[in-house]
Amino acid sequence: MNSKRLMMATQGAVAATDPQDRGDRSDQAHIRVRLDLPRVHPISFVLLAPAALLLGTLFLGPVVYAIYLGFTNLQLIGIHAVNYRFTGLSNVAFLLSDAVFYKSLWLTVIFVVGSGAIATTLLGLILALALQNCVAPIRWIASAAAILAWTLPPTTIAFLWMATSTQSGLIAMLAGNMRLDLLYKYSMLVVSTANAWSLAGLAMTMFSAALRNIPGDLMEAAQLEGASSVQCLMRITLPMLKPTIVTCALLMMLMTFGNFTLIYLMTGGGPGNDTNILPVYTYLQGFKFHNLGYAALLGNVMVLLSALLGGLFVWATKSRR
Amino acid sequence: MQTTLVERTSSPPPGQKANRPNKITADRVVSNSAALVLGVFFILPMLWMVLASVDHGATNQLRAPDLTAEHYWVAIQADNLAALGNSLLISTVATVVGTAAAFIAAYVFSKHNIPFKNPLLLTVLFLSGVPISILIVPVYKMFSILGWLSIIPTGILLGVTAIPFQIYQLKNFVDAVPAELEEAAALEQASTLQILFRVILPLTKPGLASSAIFGFVNAWGNFLMPVVLINSLADQPAPVHLFGFMGSNTIDYGAIAAYSIVYSFPIIILFLAMSRQFKAGFSLGGAVK
Repeated sequence: MNSKRLMMATQGAVAATDPQDRGDRSDQAHIRVRLDLPRVHPISFVLLAPAALLLGTLFLGPVVYAIYLGFTNLQLIGIHAVNYRFTGLSNVAFLLSDAVFYKSLWLTVIFVVGSGAIATTLLGLILALALQNCVAPIRWIASAAAILAWTLPPTTIAFLWMATSTQSGLIAMLAGNMRLDLLYKYSMLVVSTANAWSLAGLAMTMFSAALRNIPGDLMEAAQLEGASSVQCLMRITLPMLKPTIVTCALLMMLMTFGNFTLIYLMTGGGPGNDTNILPVYTYLQGFKFHNLGYAALLGNVMVLLSALLGGLFVWATKSRR
Repeated sequence: MQTTLVERTSSPPPGQKANRPNKITADRVVSNSAALVLGVFFILPMLWMVLASVDHGATNQLRAPDLTAEHYWVAIQADNLAALGNSLLISTVATVVGTAAAFIAAYVFSKHNIPFKNPLLLTVLFLSGVPISILIVPVYKMFSILGWLSIIPTGILLGVTAIPFQIYQLKNFVDAVPAELEEAAALEQASTLQILFRVILPLTKPGLASSAIFGFVNAWGNFLMPVVLINSLADQPAPVHLFGFMGSNTIDYGAIAAYSIVYSFPIIILFLAMSRQFKAGFSLGGAVK
């Protein structure tokens, strides 16, 4: 209704200045469409098609397919590998009574929140703050080391930390007790540290950039008023960094959640399920215990969790604008 | 971000000393020692790896090495190099597929008007945060039905998993190209494709480079997808090969360290290249007069 009336009012051809509209020049004399609104061109969809097709068939499609597979008795090998069928809620019933699943869920929360949100963010923040006023050689070496640690591929990081933390390794040597097998005794702590070690470089660069954006006159004003450096930190720097802290914590949580390789290579989920976070448990159920259907259901739980995290992330970045 | 960038004027007026206290204060000591401790924490494991790779009887302890190059000789044996070659193939396929598709999609998202743009962009943002380990079961099932459990489809899949992030990354770069340049090209009767490849593409080369590097690094480091989706042992890329080293009963720390370094080296170089690109900056403001 409304649009029709508007169309009448603007019949006097308002030439659009979109770069895409040369093709329609000849029709402008007897035009019946609005020209002052940006128009939708078919070529846009042609250009979008490759990405849409790839994402649809190899990303979104499988996610939807997994929802179905989660309710089947599909196996990796054996008769149910080909002749699998819909089994209704039996996988869900098994999931709800699966003690390993609950433990795995809890470990995932510990790993993602403890290592990702807290340890990595704190490490990056402390590093960025410390580097701000320290002498050049230390600053250069520390920041280069943190960034180098972040660039290493996950397999290398897993190897590094496995070698450092097992019996007679570097940490045992520093602790003065060669028989100390940290990786076996405090496995969750070790993988969490390794994860924080590998991500802190990114957090540091985020915080360094944010610190540079804090206007210097705020600090000067505070110093003129006789504020101590602790007061400056608590009353000015940290409040100014708050948006960055939130974004960084959420991003680190997302990245930690995806960190399958590190844990799987270091501990394989063990000892005794002590580091069996959901991605690892999914892999083990599917490709070690051959329960592909159940693994798909575990994957669906992970999709829900990452949707939750992603939603938080979008909400946090939006509410800042 | 509501904060504005404030340039710190560091050079004092002539004849005056810089107004910066050079004395040792408590917080300077605190921050220097904190940085030092953290620096050591970050360096030590890497230092161990470098030393072990040139140590004759390397163990997992930090010690002065008994210098040798034998571990690097092991690392460049035929089957180890073949694994690196497989990694190169997978990563190249992933980079080309992902970056090309993401680039033209980013152009559409940035400059064209399409229905449901914001929901689509939100979906893309959401996908970029999804851990890709959720894909293993359905994709394994799909690939085994289609008979695709081999190296090229795995590369394509890894490329696809990078697309959501790449779209975001490239969209920022395309956004920075002023609309006037496109309009000028349109007035000269350039078609959309010509605008895309003659105007946008040359101006977003730094963005394309960093996006391609992201795609390459993402595929190069991935362990899970190849181990699940590639049937043939000979086609496995370097990370899986490295894991094979680690899984053996007697761990040869020196050889693994050397191979890890050889395997990590290209990634480190690419990151350095990318950081230089970032530093060089990206200003197109001067293109419009």
